Amino acid sequence: MQKIINTNSKLLFLIVILWTVFSCSKNDNLNNLDETIFVRHKDADMPAYIHGNASEKVFLIILHGGPGGTGLTYRANTIKSDIEKECAVVYFDQRGSGMSQGSYSENGISVDIMAEDVLALVKVIKHKYGDDSRFFLMGHSWGGTLGTSALLKDQSDFSGWIEVGGAHNTQGLYFEYIANFKRVASEQIEAGNSIDFWQGVLDLVNNVNQTQYNEDDSSKMNNKGHQAEEKFENDNVINKWKNDSSRTIFKYNILTTLWTGNKTQSILGDQGLWEDLNYTGRLPEITVPSLILWGKHDAIVPPKFAQEAFDNLGSSNKELVIFERSGHSPMFNEGPLFAEKVIQFINENK
Amino acid sequence: MRLKFYLLIPFLLFFLKIGFTQNLEETNYPTNISSRSFLDRTEFKVSYFGNTFWNNGLVFGTEYLWKEKQKTKNRKRGQRTNTHQFLLNGNLGFTTNFSTKTDTGIFTNYGVTWRRTNKKGKQFSITVNPLGYYRSFLPETYEVKGDQVDKVFLPGRGYYAPSISVGIGKQRKGKKLTGRFFNINFMLRTPYNAGALPAFNFQYGYRFNFKKKKRDAKNN
Repeated sequence: MQKIINTNSKLLFLIVILWTVFSCSKNDNLNNLDETIFVRHKDADMPAYIHGNASEKVFLIILHGGPGGTGLTYRANTIKSDIEKECAVVYFDQRGSGMSQGSYSENGISVDIMAEDVLALVKVIKHKYGDDSRFFLMGHSWGGTLGTSALLKDQSDFSGWIEVGGAHNTQGLYFEYIANFKRVASEQIEAGNSIDFWQGVLDLVNNVNQTQYNEDDSSKMNNKGHQAEEKFENDNVINKWKNDSSRTIFKYNILTTLWTGNKTQSILGDQGLWEDLNYTGRLPEITVPSLILWGKHDAIVPPKFAQEAFDNLGSSNKELVIFERSGHSPMFNEGPLFAEKVIQFINENK
Repeated sequence: MRLKFYLLIPFLLFFLKIGFTQNLEETNYPTNISSRSFLDRTEFKVSYFGNTFWNNGLVFGTEYLWKEKQKTKNRKRGQRTNTHQFLLNGNLGFTTNFSTKTDTGIFTNYGVTWRRTNKKGKQFSITVNPLGYYRSFLPETYEVKGDQVDKVFLPGRGYYAPSISVGIGKQRKGKKLTGRFFNINFMLRTPYNAGALPAFNFQYGYRFNFKKKKRDAKNN
């Protein structure tokens, strides 16, 4: 026996070293996940980019805006530097967005099916990392529509819901654009900020259809909302947009993402996304702990909807945070405060 | 007004042609290529394929000379002879996004190339590949059906992928690499999501063949 051990001592030593290295590496990987997996569901293959600390098996799923945005846009600033240290963050390219691919008809894409995709993603993560995984869902802008829809289907797997400038009531956007722009334009003109621009905004909202939804007018006001946030930045009303994820540009083929994203947006628009969809009446059904994060100067989904979400969500544990120096994307305007609120919420409810 | 303008265009083009081609004659001489061997009519090519920012890959292909003719034009500055060729071509390529590996695939396509070569060896070509297939390869993939989750073996999807290329090149007589070329390629992948996916790529590469050297030397 001694002879065998002596003869094979080097081999034994190598086996012990390899065993140790690989035993540790699994744990190390969970502490600092860097994985891309695809979810195949209803004829679509959708990438989920998972980064961060999964040692406690806490996953924050981020639903991007758009429709037709990209998941990894959010892997920046304090989400990457702070939140990923606390939990694993799942950046998900939704159906017909980013680098998702598949083969389905126009009927194969809808808010309902996309919400089922989110629940399918949860099942895949549980399958891969264990049934004891815990989930928080964050929806930004259109992601707020999708997240609300997913929770209304099944909220049993989620420990919390974070709505960030979320469009849970897309139907209400049209008339709120008019009211919000009239109020904000008057304030800005009075303050002497970008007067010509805000005068133009007033002209626009005074000339759009005041009584019923109009697609062209809706699109014009949405575009004005994006321009308004640039003016807010220039006039030092909100903090400068900061997104340090410069390498994201190499992760998405721009032509592919624009082409598929626009198509998806067009299909959902034709289905009445902007005209008919309103989950406000069903928000009381959502009872998981909820955190509502909104920029005070959000010109894309005005802050009225923050209060609407807070008032109607059915959770007994809910908090509304207004970011004083932010527009539609507080994670890019006030990153440190954004991360602080998200981490606090996750730690209190995980 | 617009109708009149459209009617005027063909007349303008007609007069333009008359004006520029007065006293010019054009003669076509089909080249007898049937006597050439299979290898003499076949060339191979290898090229970079991608858009540099996101997707990068390689394409291997072959071309078979199908028809050829010499076109001679008597210009004011003298005679100009161009060679026009029709080639059957087939390609096999690979492309990937190294950053995320979410856009990896292999493809193959087949079609016809028309190529014009002038006496200096400068080439212009148009390739139409109506027959094309693209197979994407995805990283770790899980399929969800109801509550059932299964890992997918060899995940990816197949697409009908026709393509068109327009490019320039240079013939390199007497060299091992018989030509170089630069193409802009447009490929369509369909059905892709709820429609089709257009993709533009660059192609830069070289052609080579296995012709016998002696015959080459004699011909050149």
